[in-house]
Amino acid sequence: MDPVLKEIYSLVVPAAPYVIAAYAVLWVGLFGYIAVVLGRLGRIERELHVVEEAVARKGVTAGS
Amino acid sequence: MELRVDKKRLTFAAVIAGAVLTTVGFVLAFLVAPPVLADTTLASGGGAMIGGELIANPVLFSQKIFYFHVPVAITSFIIFFFTALYGLRFLMTKDKAFDTKARIATEVTLVFVVLTMITGDLWTRFEWGKWWVWEPRLTTYFIMMMLVIVYFVLRASIEDEERRAVYAAAFGILAFLDAPLSFLITRLVPSGNHPVVFKVGGGLDAIQVTTSVVALLGMLCLGYAIYQMRFREERAKERIEALKASLED
Repeated sequence: MDPVLKEIYSLVVPAAPYVIAAYAVLWVGLFGYIAVVLGRLGRIERELHVVEEAVARKGVTAGS
Repeated sequence: MELRVDKKRLTFAAVIAGAVLTTVGFVLAFLVAPPVLADTTLASGGGAMIGGELIANPVLFSQKIFYFHVPVAITSFIIFFFTALYGLRFLMTKDKAFDTKARIATEVTLVFVVLTMITGDLWTRFEWGKWWVWEPRLTTYFIMMMLVIVYFVLRASIEDEERRAVYAAAFGILAFLDAPLSFLITRLVPSGNHPVVFKVGGGLDAIQVTTSVVALLGMLCLGYAIYQMRFREERAKERIEALKASLED
């Protein structure tokens, strides 16, 4: 093997699993959390819309 | 109503900006930023004894972790500041919204603290051969993580809403004092093994600083976006409870 390549691989390969793991945890953790929060937010805002409509209907019924 | 729409757009923009900036930071970190040479290597007759082992890596590929580990850590300090700020605002005004804001800021802090701990530990394991070393930076940051967790334990242990908010605000303010201590400890106790990444007259070159700053801006955007989304969620929950109560009347 080319000695320069051998030197480069010897420097990169041992650390690679740790570097890859660090970035994987970071991306999955952060964007996974954002996806969960976005999903929950969507559900809760749909629920809010339904409850607001129910309150509006009750107001109309009470007024008529 | 108009303000709410603007905040929604701002939050969406922050998510996009955060995703773009962190991706650019990632590309810069691996394709542009030059490698960092170890201060002490076996080849130069040096080496460092850490945890009873001789550590010597001529080029620190593992240093690439720092381009995101450091921005995530700084973001955790900045968001934790808002726990203290909103806690203080709550104590001054007794406005429940500030208690909610402080709680959400602490929750987002915890997310960034956990990511900091994991990425830092992976670096520590490779460079020092240990998952954990009780050195000043790690110890003070570990204490900060514990304080953030205790904040939620404290909240969960108090039933009375107002008392819970007052105690949590006071605790949040006191807990935050550990953040500047943890940030400055590598400068105050230079014998610690943890590297000082940002320092005057040394350390990183222009491209490395640019990479770190781009990643930091991306993380701040994501932190802001998460905070805003969680706050909207909590406000929506409160509004649903209030509307349901009015329906039952």
